[in-house]
Amino acid sequence: MNVHQVLSGAGPHDAITTEALVFRGCFREWGWGGSDHAARIAPGLNGSIAQLARLRPRSDDVLLIHHSAGAPRLHELLALPNPKLLLHHNVTPASWLWEHAPLVAVQCAIGREQLPELVRAVDLAAGDSAFNAAELQALGASRTEVIPLLVDRNRLGSPRHPGAAADPGGPPTVLFVGRLSPHKRQDELIRAFALYRRHRAPDARLMLVGDPITPAYAELLRAFGETLAPGAVSIESGLSEAELGDRYRAADAFVCLSEHEGFCIPVLEAFHFGVPVIARPSGALPEVAGDAALLVEDRDPALVAELMHLAITDQHLRSELRRRGEARLEHYAPAVVAEQLRRAVLKTAEAARR
Amino acid sequence: MTTPEQALEQARAALASMRATGAYEAQQGDELKPGEPITSGKLFEWALIEPDLRNVRSTRRLGAPITALKRGLLKLLAQYHAELIAEQARFNVNLVLYVRRLEERIAELERELRAAEPDPRRESAEG
Repeated sequence: MNVHQVLSGAGPHDAITTEALVFRGCFREWGWGGSDHAARIAPGLNGSIAQLARLRPRSDDVLLIHHSAGAPRLHELLALPNPKLLLHHNVTPASWLWEHAPLVAVQCAIGREQLPELVRAVDLAAGDSAFNAAELQALGASRTEVIPLLVDRNRLGSPRHPGAAADPGGPPTVLFVGRLSPHKRQDELIRAFALYRRHRAPDARLMLVGDPITPAYAELLRAFGETLAPGAVSIESGLSEAELGDRYRAADAFVCLSEHEGFCIPVLEAFHFGVPVIARPSGALPEVAGDAALLVEDRDPALVAELMHLAITDQHLRSELRRRGEARLEHYAPAVVAEQLRRAVLKTAEAARR
Repeated sequence: MTTPEQALEQARAALASMRATGAYEAQQGDELKPGEPITSGKLFEWALIEPDLRNVRSTRRLGAPITALKRGLLKLLAQYHAELIAEQARFNVNLVLYVRRLEERIAELERELRAAEPDPRRESAEG
């Protein structure tokens, strides 16, 4: 069997690209062939993803279409006679992006418009969360599958360096990992962190890790952090996996106030490193975090600041969250997800034969 | 000894007692400042495309020969690209001009609308 993966865009720090490469590893292990393609390829992938124009499938090869933004030449792709499996990763609502990144907003708006057409054209539609699968059902998909993101928890290294304590020590450190983008609400996090620092921990630090949606937006956040918490907010992009692992090991709490999440891998990464998670229950986040995170719907940044204080100082709470996080990771164990992927691909091939 | 289920209520209670002592007062100036506004002047600036050839490079290790090859190809294709850029720039500039004319028409209509509206101060004085 051959499975070809098609991505709308690919980049070295992109979660979906990383997943596609992990999927490719599974396919190889199962003795399946195929290749991976994207319409837009950022530098730094060193040939691991090929141009979409070079896709030449045989008629019975399965096409696995990862959907997360507007895909160029979609009509040509959907016109191919091959069995097609859609994996919907969700598309950020363009309304969050028009002001700061209009070109990305256009891609997202197109991505949303293409979704119904994709649902109609594929043999099997899947989401990487039940939240995403529900969107597909609302668009008319008669049966959907859930194939969670395949997170290789050892990719970022072991949770603690040998002999290190469970808590990192040093000044209280709050972490968020995710694209620097308006919908991720790093601005709200900075606001809540500044309150936490002012009223609870004057030496606290906030680390924001992620690639910026535009360089200007990163500068805007940097200036905002400098205004509200001078010298305490760091913003880093393009970290290696080892460096990212070090940031998790140095964190006392992981706080995500994002307004839109189709899955949110960093929450699982925080669980892996035993970092207590505070999060806004948006999109698929409650489903992914389960009972292992402190979910807060309230918009009051002072309440988030008090939750940070509690999650950082209450040892019983920390160890209980760690225990639940570890249990949550079992739900997303690579072997379990790989089996869900395998079943979905086989079902697609079978559905197309009928 | 807080459980995750109790944490939110406990944080609310702690916040209430902190606020009772005057902590967590409302802050001034804690809004993210919007980015630089996109003016018609900015659109004109962007309409004229000037690609930076320094961005054409290989990101591979030991990619210097590939960078040289890419830049050489661009030089060979310079005439074609100049034609392409000229066509795109013509479209861009005319589009910006069109938007500017529309803005002027809207401004004119708004002026006319304001002029046609009765003045409420004069009306109340007459009433």
